[in-house]
Amino acid sequence: MAMLIDCLKVRIKPVSIPTPGSLSHANIGLGVGLLGGRYSLNPQTTTESEIKAAQAREELTRAAAAEEMNLMRKNTETGGTLARKNVATKAELMAEKSKNEEAAMMADIAKLNTMSIRFTKFKTLLDMPVIDLEQLRKLSWSGIPEEIRSTVWKLLMGYLPSSADRRDATLQRKRKEYEEYVAQSFGRGKATLDQALYHQIHIDVNRTHANIPLYQTPRIQEALERVLYCWAIRHPASGYVQGINDLVTPFFHVFLQSQTKGDVERADLSLVSPETLMEVEADSFWCLTKLLDGIQDNYTHLQPGITRQISRLKELINRIDARLYAHLQSQGVEFIQFAFRWMNCLLMRELSLRNTIRMWDSYQAEGTDGFSDFHLYVCAAFLVKWTEQLKKLEFQDMMMFLQSLPTQNWDDKDIELLLSEAYMWKSLFHNSPNHLSTQS
Amino acid sequence: MSKDDEYDYLFKVVLIGDSGVGKSNLLGRFTRNEFNLESKSTIGVEFATRSINVDGKVIKAQIWDTAGQERYRAITSAYYRGAVGALLVYDIAKQQTYENVNRWLKELRDHADTNIVIMLVGNKSDLKYARAVPTEEAKQFSTENGLSFIETSALDATNVELAFQKILTEIYRIVSNKALESENNERGAVPGAGQSITVAPTDTNAPKKAGGCC
Repeated sequence: MAMLIDCLKVRIKPVSIPTPGSLSHANIGLGVGLLGGRYSLNPQTTTESEIKAAQAREELTRAAAAEEMNLMRKNTETGGTLARKNVATKAELMAEKSKNEEAAMMADIAKLNTMSIRFTKFKTLLDMPVIDLEQLRKLSWSGIPEEIRSTVWKLLMGYLPSSADRRDATLQRKRKEYEEYVAQSFGRGKATLDQALYHQIHIDVNRTHANIPLYQTPRIQEALERVLYCWAIRHPASGYVQGINDLVTPFFHVFLQSQTKGDVERADLSLVSPETLMEVEADSFWCLTKLLDGIQDNYTHLQPGITRQISRLKELINRIDARLYAHLQSQGVEFIQFAFRWMNCLLMRELSLRNTIRMWDSYQAEGTDGFSDFHLYVCAAFLVKWTEQLKKLEFQDMMMFLQSLPTQNWDDKDIELLLSEAYMWKSLFHNSPNHLSTQS
Repeated sequence: MSKDDEYDYLFKVVLIGDSGVGKSNLLGRFTRNEFNLESKSTIGVEFATRSINVDGKVIKAQIWDTAGQERYRAITSAYYRGAVGALLVYDIAKQQTYENVNRWLKELRDHADTNIVIMLVGNKSDLKYARAVPTEEAKQFSTENGLSFIETSALDATNVELAFQKILTEIYRIVSNKALESENNERGAVPGAGQSITVAPTDTNAPKKAGGCC
């Protein structure tokens, strides 16, 4: 039996399919099955060949997954009579296996082709003397290749100017400015810092991504402390709020990645010069500043931005999945009890750093509202993902489940599905305010 | 949903105190017997539960772990309502976290039920060589203010079980005494023997001791 199962292992992962509940309202036109919809729903128009390649890949994957399912079923059905059929089944399996392998190979080729086409498109855009940001956004929505992510992020965040001839000067000026901030605060040693503020930042940085070795190195921790401290004293209306320490890391990670070889999480920092690290730090500071400018009232007194987002989420869920909404209500689960963190840390506590980085490609591509409005729809799509599980749970188990959702094995595909679903909800509800009118 | 859910009493308890004193790890130690070196800061509130036995009764504790940073006070204080117990945690190695105990008591006074049972918890007792708050001082402060007191270490599990056991038992005694009283007659809210339901002190009553640290 074990051997049989081994034979059945194909390299292709089964395609995740949205729960029926999550689609209940989407059947009108948009619910053409999110598998294909992942492409059709994206805001940008992709080239025909790209779509074809993608479709081919999806089809192959789906076919392979279906075959796998079939085999599994056959396998279970045979049960006790397995021995009798063993010879025939084995031969059958071998044939199936090679078919599957072929399919997987084809899918890989199609994927590589798509990637290379996308990369070329990015390159062409980035090489222009003045970058068409609109085009860049459209292209970035479906994910940015790692090799150029650092540059693209800086452009999308509005940190790097779109015209090539201004870029170097801007970078130099901004980096110098940040270095001056650091010198002002840290130049006379840590004893002169606002101790309460510094202490809070220090203990939080110490427990930021504690599972990733990179973030446990003193050099990186000190860099993050400086970024957060300099930001906090320049934004007295909010100051440093726990959770902002999470938000700086995607920038830092991506910018440092562009300066290191291989996996940045295990990078040999001795190869990164102090000057380079200072640049990464400065760029992270400015991009964090841009990000927080857009969601500042999430962190001011009483955190009104978060309260507003949560009440919008509540209404949205009532629209999207009334039964889940009723269940939460009947069990006395308040949205603020689980969604506060979703808003405060932009789901970074729910998803891995890698997942977050992929997600931020699309958030930035969404434009200025990506981290607020679009995030709201992502949260809605995220919650209804667990509808089936949640409906079976009572208050306490539900709270525990929501506090540690099983996303550990999520990869880009899961994130992309989530983003497409969010996009769908946004197009359904965002421009129809009546759908979301406050009941007060 | 399961047998775990059969209980005689359900008590809501909150964990409060400065950031970084180990509230989440106390909760993790008590409810899952875990200590997480990689634990992140708590954002808003987190929730966990565990049942224990007191006098043959099953007491279920619903514990709300709160964020320590001041900015979250408005959000977290909403969770004080209905709480019958509070574990006010400080770090025995950080004088400042002990000095802030008065501010936390004020928070409770402003937002929690007046009869809430409060236990002062000096956590990180494993940090023997870094101690900044003498046990005797905290003990005396607790007596003066009608609080229970214990020192714990979530890291090596010292007294964690006992701390929760103590506060839940204390709450249980009050609740069952009250039930008895109302059965017998209406003598008003007289605390049970040995029970101190003291209204938290004002800031001026609090000892103003400057520590040797910080």
